[in-house]
Amino acid sequence: MKFYEVKIEERKVLGSYSLLRYRWRGTVEPGQFVMVRTAGYPVSLDPFLARPFSFYDHDGETASLLFEVRGRGTANLDLATTIEVTNPLGKGFRIEPGLGRAALLGGGIGVAPLKILARHLDALDLTYDVFLGFADERSSVVAREFPGAEVATMDGTVGTLGTVLDTGVALQDYGAVYSCGPNPMLAAVRLAAGDGVVCQLSVEERMGCGNGSCNGCVVPVRGGYVRSCIEGPVFDAEALAW
Amino acid sequence: MVVRDRRTDADLAVDLCGLPLRTPLMPASGTLSREALGEVEGVYGAMLPKTTTPVARAGNPPPRVAETPAGMVNSIGLQNPGVERFLRDLDAFDLGVPLFVSVAGDTVAEFAELCERLAADDRISAVELNLSCPNVECGGLAFCAGPASVEEVVAACRAAVPNKRILAKLTNEGVVENARAAESAGADGLTVINTIPALTIDPKTQKVLVRGGLSGPAIKPVALRAVYDVSGAVSVPVVGSGGVTSGTDVAEFMLAGATAVQVGTASFVRDPQEIHSEFAAYLRERGQEAAELTGALRGVRPTVAGGTEV
Repeated sequence: MKFYEVKIEERKVLGSYSLLRYRWRGTVEPGQFVMVRTAGYPVSLDPFLARPFSFYDHDGETASLLFEVRGRGTANLDLATTIEVTNPLGKGFRIEPGLGRAALLGGGIGVAPLKILARHLDALDLTYDVFLGFADERSSVVAREFPGAEVATMDGTVGTLGTVLDTGVALQDYGAVYSCGPNPMLAAVRLAAGDGVVCQLSVEERMGCGNGSCNGCVVPVRGGYVRSCIEGPVFDAEALAW
Repeated sequence: MVVRDRRTDADLAVDLCGLPLRTPLMPASGTLSREALGEVEGVYGAMLPKTTTPVARAGNPPPRVAETPAGMVNSIGLQNPGVERFLRDLDAFDLGVPLFVSVAGDTVAEFAELCERLAADDRISAVELNLSCPNVECGGLAFCAGPASVEEVVAACRAAVPNKRILAKLTNEGVVENARAAESAGADGLTVINTIPALTIDPKTQKVLVRGGLSGPAIKPVALRAVYDVSGAVSVPVVGSGGVTSGTDVAEFMLAGATAVQVGTASFVRDPQEIHSEFAAYLRERGQEAAELTGALRGVRPTVAGGTEV
């Protein structure tokens, strides 16, 4: 896997999440991801694997990533002045005009790809509503980047008490549902959306390589497993055999 | 104008059991997807796709990979579409270099059937017998168990595929005895070593995360020792595998006795082109050719304390 060294242009703390911005002029589709790490020679030995992050945003000039510091890999990234990234990877959200109003649902750090998705929907003059769920007040800080979003927190400190689905969103009323978050949340979103709505889910899996080689990041589909780095990370809800 | 150094490629050429290879590098089985082939043009002297089995295997349920210091533990479970589908799609792996195919069966008969099927395919130059995948419970036979079963399966495959080279891929445990058994049963070469049985535990959930095989730089010294010992014990060529991550790693494996070297886990975290260029630069700086490295240490007494005399 080829990595490129890029300089961090901006770093921002958004509650319990960190945002890094770097120059990237290539195309980025909403829902795509990159493998990210700090440098080492010839590679970083510990942590050894790069981390997969969905693009948070891309304006044609700079790309940004939103992540939560969970372990040493993400802690190092949080301090780095230069990082190493791959090309944009995977299949993102398929935007189909003509479906009607869209619902964007994010859970926790799963809000990340909704920002770039909203940018692309805006560019096509497509309408949407955003619904976000978080654990607590601190993790919900990023919601201010989504003006007008309905928010829920598990501890009830911000917005509605409960999950993103407790915001009262009626998914059947929408023409398309796009969602990213923990897998149990995605399963609940699929159930709530029902069969009549186009529903696309961005899954989160442990990854080894990001280019389809290690077969580590699989998700169950009818008839077996497929790799979330190549066939996903965005899947049509009905394709997933959860 | 860029003056191309003619030595860059010419001096990388090796001969592996009668097959001329443009470079001594090849992918380790199961570490290079069809989608990533564009990244490796010109790097490898042979191509080696993921292990194929008689019928499709869904593989193990996730989680399948876990990171460890200088490596990773995987438990993929030989997910593959089965040999017939594999052969239909095989042309994608034609990069103009000899094609090696890794096979695994649950029984001696399954190994032999696979070999017979491959024998009829002109695109394939060599068969690598995966005798040592730590993630698949052996059905009728514990191949990792010892020389008797290694000898039995290699002999059956030798009879089934007389027209192609056979490499036996061995695990670290008992590697010298198994290498001798594979050689006497007719293997043309040996791949040393497979991943090493390993376990990771998640302290948060207090559950086993992945029980599988360890790969990456963490196992390099173990693999080097196995290559060194095996190449001193048999006369067939050895393909070194285990933690190769840089150009000097390639050189070290060849010095230890390998004729060719596999790149596996490193290709997840590095561009294999870089490993190729580093190895070419290493040879250029020293005015050496790849082939002269192989076995250069044969007969040289180890000088490091604790080393075992061969």
